[in-house]
Amino acid sequence: MRHSRALRLLGIVTPLAAIVFAGLIGSVVIAMAGKSPLAVYKTMVLFSLTRFDSIALILFRCTPLLISAIAVSIGFRANLFNIGVEGQYFIGSFCAAWVGFSLRGLPAIIHLPLAACAAMLGGVIWALVPALLRVRRGAHEVITTIMMNSVAFSMVHWLIYVFLDVEQTTVPGMGSVRMRTPLVLATAKMPTMHSLLNPLLAPLGLEVPRHVYLNYFFPAAIALAFLVNYFIHRTPLGLEIRAVGHNPDAAETQGIDPNSVRLKAFLLSAAVAGLVGLSDLLTYFGYLDIDFPKGYGFTGIAVALLGKNNPVGMILSAFLMSFLRRGAEGAQVLEGVPMDTAAILEGVMILAIVVASSVFTRYARAWQKREARAHADQ
Amino acid sequence: MDTTAVVSLKGISKAFPGVVADRDINLDVTHEIHAIVGENGAGKSTLMRILSGLLRPDSGEIWLRGSRVTITSPGHAAALGIGMVHQHFMLIGRFSVMENVILGLEPSHHGVLDASAAKARVLALCRQYGMALDPDAKIRDLPVGLQQRVEILKVLYRGAQVLILDEPTAVLAPQEVADLFQNLRALKEAGKTIIFISHKLDEVLEIADRISVLRRGQMIGTVLAQDATREEIARMMVGRPVLFSLDKPPATPGDALLELKDLSVLGGLGNLACDRVSLSVRAGEIYGVAGVEGNGQTELVEAVTGIRKPRSGSIMLLGKQVAGQNPAAIRHLGLAHIPEDRQRRGLVLELSVLENFILGKHRSSNYVARHVTNTREARTQASRAIRDFDVRVASLDLTGGSLSGGNQQKLILSRELETGPKVIIAAQPMRGLDVGASEFVRSVLLKARQDGCAVLLVSADLEELMALSDRIGVMFRGRLVAELDRDLATVDRIGQYMVGTTAEAAR
Repeated sequence: MRHSRALRLLGIVTPLAAIVFAGLIGSVVIAMAGKSPLAVYKTMVLFSLTRFDSIALILFRCTPLLISAIAVSIGFRANLFNIGVEGQYFIGSFCAAWVGFSLRGLPAIIHLPLAACAAMLGGVIWALVPALLRVRRGAHEVITTIMMNSVAFSMVHWLIYVFLDVEQTTVPGMGSVRMRTPLVLATAKMPTMHSLLNPLLAPLGLEVPRHVYLNYFFPAAIALAFLVNYFIHRTPLGLEIRAVGHNPDAAETQGIDPNSVRLKAFLLSAAVAGLVGLSDLLTYFGYLDIDFPKGYGFTGIAVALLGKNNPVGMILSAFLMSFLRRGAEGAQVLEGVPMDTAAILEGVMILAIVVASSVFTRYARAWQKREARAHADQ
Repeated sequence: MDTTAVVSLKGISKAFPGVVADRDINLDVTHEIHAIVGENGAGKSTLMRILSGLLRPDSGEIWLRGSRVTITSPGHAAALGIGMVHQHFMLIGRFSVMENVILGLEPSHHGVLDASAAKARVLALCRQYGMALDPDAKIRDLPVGLQQRVEILKVLYRGAQVLILDEPTAVLAPQEVADLFQNLRALKEAGKTIIFISHKLDEVLEIADRISVLRRGQMIGTVLAQDATREEIARMMVGRPVLFSLDKPPATPGDALLELKDLSVLGGLGNLACDRVSLSVRAGEIYGVAGVEGNGQTELVEAVTGIRKPRSGSIMLLGKQVAGQNPAAIRHLGLAHIPEDRQRRGLVLELSVLENFILGKHRSSNYVARHVTNTREARTQASRAIRDFDVRVASLDLTGGSLSGGNQQKLILSRELETGPKVIIAAQPMRGLDVGASEFVRSVLLKARQDGCAVLLVSADLEELMALSDRIGVMFRGRLVAELDRDLATVDRIGQYMVGTTAEAAR
């Protein structure tokens, strides 16, 4: 048993080693660009972590990544690869926007949750076709969800055209056209955390800047990470999802219908995916336009991998990803290093973590096996 | 018998991190058939992998015909005349016998395969050792026994003088075993030395000249087969006396609890895997299903347990029609299933012992409180059950995959039997288990029988079936070709039904 502590420690060290490794590769890239790696990293860290607006911004940007990672991780547990988070949050965001701008006269306590439910429903509806195709016909979800992503982008563009915000479309005298939905009503908007945080931070001489839209979706996402983890590990359906994910044959033998469990896990993943865009939609933009942020779904996959589906791991990974991007912005402005360096770091880090964790898993398994054998021999 | 050593192992030790696999092993193999027996994990395989160049010993010497050698690789071992016939065949199904034999050592002429020379050499080898094989036959068309012959031929083609056979009879029917033994004796006559690894004691006693016993990495001793008894060797292997003739009171069968009528089941390829099988298993009896693997037993079990939908026919479980129902519904009626592949169907190796224990009944009111798994209750029940079933595990939180084969099987037994099922379907329950663990499984099945369970026991191991069953049915090509009372069954008779030689006469 004393080994299990060492193993847990090793489990934490493994991703850290991968991060360091990625940093080394990144140094080579930076050096090739003719800059000093140390200076660039120093700038990244200082710019990201010593400016309070950067920290608040990193937390704000964490939110969609974390929710996306949670969605992906639910799929991973059932051995499903939901690449469709991207499309699911686009549709989910549209549904939330629709509820947000079209339903009038509701109090915030109803309107906002209703918008969130609409977002989850949108995600589920968008996942229904790939999920059913997988369960009934065995069509691989990677292929079908990628297709659905493309359809979702175009569909949302069309829906924006249908619901085009006529009042705002033409700016008098300038004739410019903004391709976007009407504004979400105030009752459906998620408030920022300024009014809560600023009084607390004031004694420290800190303040969340007005241009940072850190909002209550951030703590909600953190809570969701732990809630989903609890669900996966402590409920009968959670056990079924893990059993089917690891060994559908054994699950089936024990009377569990693998396809029904896969369907549930898929739709659950999609429901969470539907929420990914809300932090941006209901706090920052207040409308859906044709430039609504893309890519959270894919980054979420990286975050889930890096965090190994574990809530704390995914929170830290989401933070790391946001930190890298913010740091890269700083490095671009202050050091003249292109933003793409951060993308390279991200990529190498994911590769390194995948390799390192598979090595670690094999090692941990052998270790556990030996311990069990030693015990059995006693 | 020539008493000069062909192979000598002197003081061989090999440790893996945390375990010593072999400790100071001394072994002399002369020109003979030398059996090495021992329980799983006794160090047989490690020792043979050292001899065949797959592993290097930590210390000790290997002597071959009076000179010391250091074997660096399997290729080197082959060059020294040592060849290994693996338990799992390494053959290419689409290739012919000849192509498989010469693969890696093809005779060529200016870089072009000399097919006629190759064929001639393969034929010459077959003739020399009295092995009937068609060099042009495709491997996938051959029965298992002949495939094994090809494996042996491969080793001979590479000039082996010492042949190591790793559990060669595990996959064979009795008649095929007899053929194999005939081949081995011929090889010995032709001057080959044979090392035979097994844990089937009857076979070892029949074929071997001498038998060496390993236990927990140590050499316990070598005995002459003609002087040895099964009980003696088993005691050497386990370290204590082992019960073979089970204390088995006469059956007092009651009502039929499981009745199959004209059950037909399609296999994975759409073939008719089970063809109108009818049988019934009564309370308080063990019904054994014999047969060479792949004759429909797997599909039969899958249909009865609800994993595979039958094509036609009926399955009555405790008087209720269950054909085509799902596994959960069938289990719920009181059916326990010990699957034939415990790592694939029995356990989820990545889940903990506790989770594996409650899997299947994880939704029962015992284990769920307010929609959440009642871990405390699960732990209590699991601790009790694994104590009753002697599962040796340090913690309920270790993964199922970390357990040894015997403990995995005991964990499955504890899960399946602690609820007091009425009908037990046990498929190959003792496969791959060592003497101690199979003894335990046997006693559990017999106890269930005493308690009035109906047990359907499917096994490819005739000894096992003969020891446990009250009636024995034999499956051949999807049909139940014979059904015999235990008193009238002999290994020979069943063996003939198993290979279909008397299939016509039976119907």
